[in-house]
Amino acid sequence: MVLRVEGVSKTFPGTRALDDVSLDVRRGEVHALIGNNGSGKSTLIKILAGVCSADRGEIAIGVRKFSAMRFSAADARSSGLHFVHQVPVLFPALTVAENLAIGRGFEVGRPWRIRWRDQQERARRLLERFHIRAEPEMPVAALGPVEQTLIAIARALQDQESEREGVLVLDEPSAALPGPEVDRLLETLQRYAATGRSIVYVTHRLEEVLRASDRVTALRDGRLVGTEETSTMDEAKLVSFMLGRSTPAAGRIVAEKATSSSDAAVGGPDGFLSVRGLAGGRVASVTFDLARGQVVGIAGRLGSGAAELLQMLFGALPATSGEVILDGAPLRSATPRAAVARGVAYVPADRAVNASFHSMSVRANWSAAGVSRYFRRWRLRHSVERADALAAIERFSVRAASDEQPFSTLSGGNQQKVVLARWLHELPKLLLLDEPTQGVDVHARAEIHHALRETARRGTLAIVVGSDFQELARLCDRVLVMIDGRIVADLAPPSLDAHRLSELAHFSSADPS
Amino acid sequence: MTTAAHQREPAPIAAAPNRRAAGRSPRAMGLLVLQRYALLLLLGIIVLFFTLRLPDSFPTLLNVRNILGNQSVLAIVSIAAILPLIGGQFDLSIGSVLGLTSIATASALSRFSAPLWLAAMVGIGLGAAVGAFNGIAVAKLGVNALITTLGVATIITGLISWYTDGLSILTGIPRALTDLGSGVWLGLPRTLYGLALVALLAWYLLEHTPYGRYLHAVGSNPNAARLVGLDVDRVVILSFTIAGAIIGFGGVLQVARQGGGNPQTGNFFLMPALSAAFLGATTIRPGRFNVPGTIVAVFFLATTVSGLSLSGVNTWVESVFNGTALAVAVGLSTALGRRRAGG
Repeated sequence: MVLRVEGVSKTFPGTRALDDVSLDVRRGEVHALIGNNGSGKSTLIKILAGVCSADRGEIAIGVRKFSAMRFSAADARSSGLHFVHQVPVLFPALTVAENLAIGRGFEVGRPWRIRWRDQQERARRLLERFHIRAEPEMPVAALGPVEQTLIAIARALQDQESEREGVLVLDEPSAALPGPEVDRLLETLQRYAATGRSIVYVTHRLEEVLRASDRVTALRDGRLVGTEETSTMDEAKLVSFMLGRSTPAAGRIVAEKATSSSDAAVGGPDGFLSVRGLAGGRVASVTFDLARGQVVGIAGRLGSGAAELLQMLFGALPATSGEVILDGAPLRSATPRAAVARGVAYVPADRAVNASFHSMSVRANWSAAGVSRYFRRWRLRHSVERADALAAIERFSVRAASDEQPFSTLSGGNQQKVVLARWLHELPKLLLLDEPTQGVDVHARAEIHHALRETARRGTLAIVVGSDFQELARLCDRVLVMIDGRIVADLAPPSLDAHRLSELAHFSSADPS
Repeated sequence: MTTAAHQREPAPIAAAPNRRAAGRSPRAMGLLVLQRYALLLLLGIIVLFFTLRLPDSFPTLLNVRNILGNQSVLAIVSIAAILPLIGGQFDLSIGSVLGLTSIATASALSRFSAPLWLAAMVGIGLGAAVGAFNGIAVAKLGVNALITTLGVATIITGLISWYTDGLSILTGIPRALTDLGSGVWLGLPRTLYGLALVALLAWYLLEHTPYGRYLHAVGSNPNAARLVGLDVDRVVILSFTIAGAIIGFGGVLQVARQGGGNPQTGNFFLMPALSAAFLGATTIRPGRFNVPGTIVAVFFLATTVSGLSLSGVNTWVESVFNGTALAVAVGLSTALGRRRAGG
């Protein structure tokens, strides 16, 4: 056993992120770690990286034993745990050789002169060892995404030429890679493991698990489901393994899903929102029709193009071709501003970066999309704005001491409710939401679901992009499944359930139903 | 400064507890009030100190009128400076634009015998045009604002010395204008009324119009501003343009005050104006560039310098004092801004 995690638990305020989870990794294996969003995968990785401390448990690496409560990043490094994250941290403007040397140190002569020839030579050896198609003096920006990922891996592992210990942990390395490129990454990893090293591979792509891993461990709701030999699995078994036999009834928060409106769910050719051959970036020709007054999900993993589809509808990303008709008139969203003018609203995924004005008050954040409404007779009516903001705070039960409180002091869930309230007050025709409940606690999640259902009842069409399929199945009237920039399935009750969605979204080979 | 604060923002938000929100203690409230008026209090202390020390020269009507009259134009330039700053951009051309507009106004009056209203429009319009140029280069072409405005400032300085041969324009300035510069209304220097007008307009624009809110939003997070449907480019261009127009008005007042156009004028305004803008962000509304705070800061700096020079301190002390004030002010306002942003 190279790495053993035993009985690790971690509680965040309001959620049990990990509950008595154990994991062991053998020498020379590719060990896949799977689980839905919120299953505890990322928490486990963070604990292993020493970024976050556990409440209980033990970590053993080789012969060394640590308490998981005090496992530090330095411990991880010194005992040979190496991490490569989703988006590799590289310096695009520097050369391959320089990137490999940064963090480790350059080959230096006297007095402090970099010995470039030795440096190039060392880089060349590394590139060969990891089968990377690049030259030491090329700038990293000129390389493809796989090469960049491999260089990040090579950088993490360069000093391990001889030692047999050590584990490489890859956190969704393939998420940002296009399909065929993934094969090369997997080959390299298998070759590396074949020399006796161990790899922990976190992924959402189940077909990669089947193709490249030796064993697979699944987490669900912070608990360990189990560890299995991959050779005993097939697609259906793997999905059940990850999601469990049936959707847990306990999680069913919104039971009031409007069954009446799902009759109207079948959007005819003259739908409220009609998208014809929309393409651009990751999105490869998408066509669908949706009716008003619904919550429609788009199920897609990271990199499926679903997030880009939303941005295109909002004008935040240019479309290369296609046509969109909203409420009878063409929607040519060249800019977000034009889209907003047509009654389109967008709640982006990364709230902190894309939707928050941290230094401004809760009130100003709430009214950011519609301040001009309060400008009457040459004055901004602060008191009216304030009353409306307080009403919104009340209605969405935002925990804020006052509307003047700086936005940055709110918790993530409360910030998200303010961002949602911002747009709902504008009564949008089309509300686009990208992962609206990410990083939000269970309670706030239920409230956000409720608000979305309520808005749909008033005639808004809400489109929710998500990778938590249980949530989509619970929340939506209808769900489109998107893979590699295409819509491959369109599910409405009764065929709409989390299992079916996961099967469809996790295997590109799935035929449209 | 804005970018640094911005990059720091995302991570710690979720973890930050509502410490300040969950019931402010009377003591915390007291601290907040103290912080808000600290600079005003300090100004009072300094006035008191020099009054006691120099009872014959400092607290005289003449000296008070001098400070108020001389600093009005600087305060106007400082107010202009905070507009781009709120939007997250630096404008280093404020000083040279003041020089340019005052030379243009004086030249229109003296060499072209233009009527006063037209000469004033020339100054204000030219200021707005340079501001619009800055804004377009920054917003549409994406050139770094520091580089753009530094370049523009250098070009303007060159143009001024070419046009004037380094000589002041002193003849042909109508009495009506010079009276405005040296005269008194209700016991106060007339230029002070010009400052009051600009301050009121800027305060109204920033606090009571949607545009003010948009500008703050763009400065806080330009990407989020774009995604709520704001025309970020237009907001930025307008901030530079309005700032330019305000400086143009300041240029006209400067001609009134000096009785002509001096090609060296601009050199003395950039650093004091930026000092005042940053120092102003530590008071009245701490952590935010604001109009009343900026005015307090201008008079705080000017009063201190006046007191020092009346005490017979060497002139180099003024530079050291202004520089120190700028460094301390930038440090303080960044720290306050960061605390507000929860970083």
